[in-house]
Amino acid sequence: MNDMRLIDRKTTMNEIKIAAEGVDVFYGESHALKDVSVDIEERTVTAFIGPSGCGKSTFLRCLNRMNDTIPTARVTGRITLDGEDIYAPSVDPVQLRAKVGMVFQKPNPFPKSIYDNVAYGPRIHGLSRNKAELDEIVENSLRRAALWDEAKDRLAEPGTGLSGGQQQRLCIARAVATAPEVLLMDEPCSALDPIATAQVEELIDELRQNFSVVIVTHSMQQAARVSQKTAFFHLGHLVEYDDTDTIFQNPRDTRTESYITGRIG
Amino acid sequence: MPTTWLILAIAALAALGFVAGRARAMTSAGGDARRLHSLPAYYGWNVALTVLTPALGLFVLWMLVQPFLVDRHVTGLIPDSAIGQGSSRGLVMSDVRRVAEGLSVLEARGADADDIAAMTPEALQDEMAAVGVALGTPMTPAVKAAAEAYRAETDGWRTWMGVAVLAAALGGLALSWRMTDKDFRARNTVERGILFMLLGAALVAILTTLGIVLSMLFETANFFEAYPWQKFFLGTNWAPDFRGNSELAILPLLWGTLYISLIALLVAVPIGLFAAIYLSEYATKRVRTLAKPAIEILAGIPTIVYGLFALITVGPMLRDWLAQPLGFGNSSSSVMTAGLVMGIMLIPFVSSLSDDIINAVPQSLRDGSYGLGATQSETIKQVIVPAALPGIVGAILLAASRAIGETMIVVLGAGAAAAQFNQGLGEVVNPFQAMTTITVKIVSQLTGDTDFSSPETLVAFALGLTLFVITLGLNVLALWIVRRYREQYE
Repeated sequence: MNDMRLIDRKTTMNEIKIAAEGVDVFYGESHALKDVSVDIEERTVTAFIGPSGCGKSTFLRCLNRMNDTIPTARVTGRITLDGEDIYAPSVDPVQLRAKVGMVFQKPNPFPKSIYDNVAYGPRIHGLSRNKAELDEIVENSLRRAALWDEAKDRLAEPGTGLSGGQQQRLCIARAVATAPEVLLMDEPCSALDPIATAQVEELIDELRQNFSVVIVTHSMQQAARVSQKTAFFHLGHLVEYDDTDTIFQNPRDTRTESYITGRIG
Repeated sequence: MPTTWLILAIAALAALGFVAGRARAMTSAGGDARRLHSLPAYYGWNVALTVLTPALGLFVLWMLVQPFLVDRHVTGLIPDSAIGQGSSRGLVMSDVRRVAEGLSVLEARGADADDIAAMTPEALQDEMAAVGVALGTPMTPAVKAAAEAYRAETDGWRTWMGVAVLAAALGGLALSWRMTDKDFRARNTVERGILFMLLGAALVAILTTLGIVLSMLFETANFFEAYPWQKFFLGTNWAPDFRGNSELAILPLLWGTLYISLIALLVAVPIGLFAAIYLSEYATKRVRTLAKPAIEILAGIPTIVYGLFALITVGPMLRDWLAQPLGFGNSSSSVMTAGLVMGIMLIPFVSSLSDDIINAVPQSLRDGSYGLGATQSETIKQVIVPAALPGIVGAILLAASRAIGETMIVVLGAGAAAAQFNQGLGEVVNPFQAMTTITVKIVSQLTGDTDFSSPETLVAFALGLTLFVITLGLNVLALWIVRRYREQYE
């Protein structure tokens, strides 16, 4: 597919995890996303960039059918996960969302203890046989979200009492605990300070070993730092999708070039 | 009439002050509003408020204090011999006030003051009866004299009040008009004045509560002088007897109150909460816009109508279909009847408040839960209801306060007979037994021929105060729960 990145075998040998073909999204009358086709690879961080209102978050929400919760939203086209159409009538969107987890722009811990926040998904999906296993899942998830050391002594305290950055890492731990195959992140760092951002970015890089991560971001530096593939959206169109290096150093489309150099957006 | 004129005069002065103050400010700025410290209207308001506040304040104070002073003085004029057997100075004074009122009526109808003064008390009484002022007891010369003094003093003080109030208004006008100048900070002054008005409004509510509590406290203290508190709080029998020798224990009434309220809440809380969950989470917008007002109509039905429903429909139905076949008794007035109907009345309280609270749970929490693969039902059970719980508990406690204070449904649904603890516990816990509550007994102790010195009447105040303490406790608890467990959603 691309031979420039032979050195980085991880990205080049990956299989396609999610394939989207000709996806259109309508919110009522407005046509939010126009004919988007993207292949998202396994064990890869894919970044969606583009100016506000360009449709990148909308497309992200198509990938786990979160748009179903909006009554006026309508999605057409074909999106497959491991070759299976996720919009097929036989697919339960709830099951799909267990496989395709999501982290939101604003940290949204539940008004429960830190432990119960992380244990929420595993409990719902019955991922543990006993308390000891659940404890283990919680600990592992918090460790992977780099929150264990800060939270291990206060697992019974409410998750809403953490700082903003800690809350977002708690939300990531919560998503990781459900053992998803794909993790969608909608501007996960936009409410965080630079230090927390750096921690979350580091985390995203580690998560890549097990999941595909799709991240929507407004920060071009962030896209360049964490992603291997980048898609640029503009006015509801997918303008360009390629290796991150190519997008940032050698974009084919003039709109992409204008955006990453700060002329539009 | 003179009072009306006085108020109108003050209002006119205030209006005049507004215009004059505004004009003076404009003149001092040479007609250029930009050179004023504040907008021109503020200068006007400053003058108008300075006219109104002291004048009206003095007026209200005077109206409150004057009757006390006059009463005290006139009471002293009544000789002890004028107070008949079985009467009291207070009763004679109320006759005096009534006669004074009658004198005013007669004079308003054109009777000559000298003629009235020359009349005998008997003739005057007939004259007054002719214009609709009737007295309970024959008028004595002493009462007539006192009434004349009462009137004269009241009128005299009234005149002085008019003078003083007008003086205050004019003084305010002159003072603030002189202060008005282009550099005067009228805006700040007016805003401070408004602040005190707001403060005053808040104080009225607080002071009223305080007044209610104090008046209850005094009467309750009187009650406990006439009746031992141990028997009131620890006794088990309610058997008032106006000929004396009553048993006035609160327990049977408190039990009835709590039992009926409990049943009402057992009905209202699940139904109201489930309705709220359906409306806020599942119902489409169209259903919601129709169903929510429909449920809230329940809240608009007067409780007496609920009482009729309990008396005519629910009571006999429960008796014929449940109580009699199951051998629980054959009374159509029962705890169950009142509890069920009261529960229906409370549904909109629980559902409407809970619905608002559930709607206030941020969408981001729902998204977070759905994003983890939770179903809507799991999301509601594990995220939304826990997040809304403090508010829901608050709504339930509010409904409980209503249930405890309810009277009409109880009278018509559960009867007016207190629980009979001396007939065994089985009678008392039987939900198909007639029973009554504190509120009903307060009403029945205070209606009819009452004598405000017997414990049988005064017990109403002790009952009322107990009820007040219970509902106050519930409200404090509700506030504490809401504050303790409230989630900060930013």
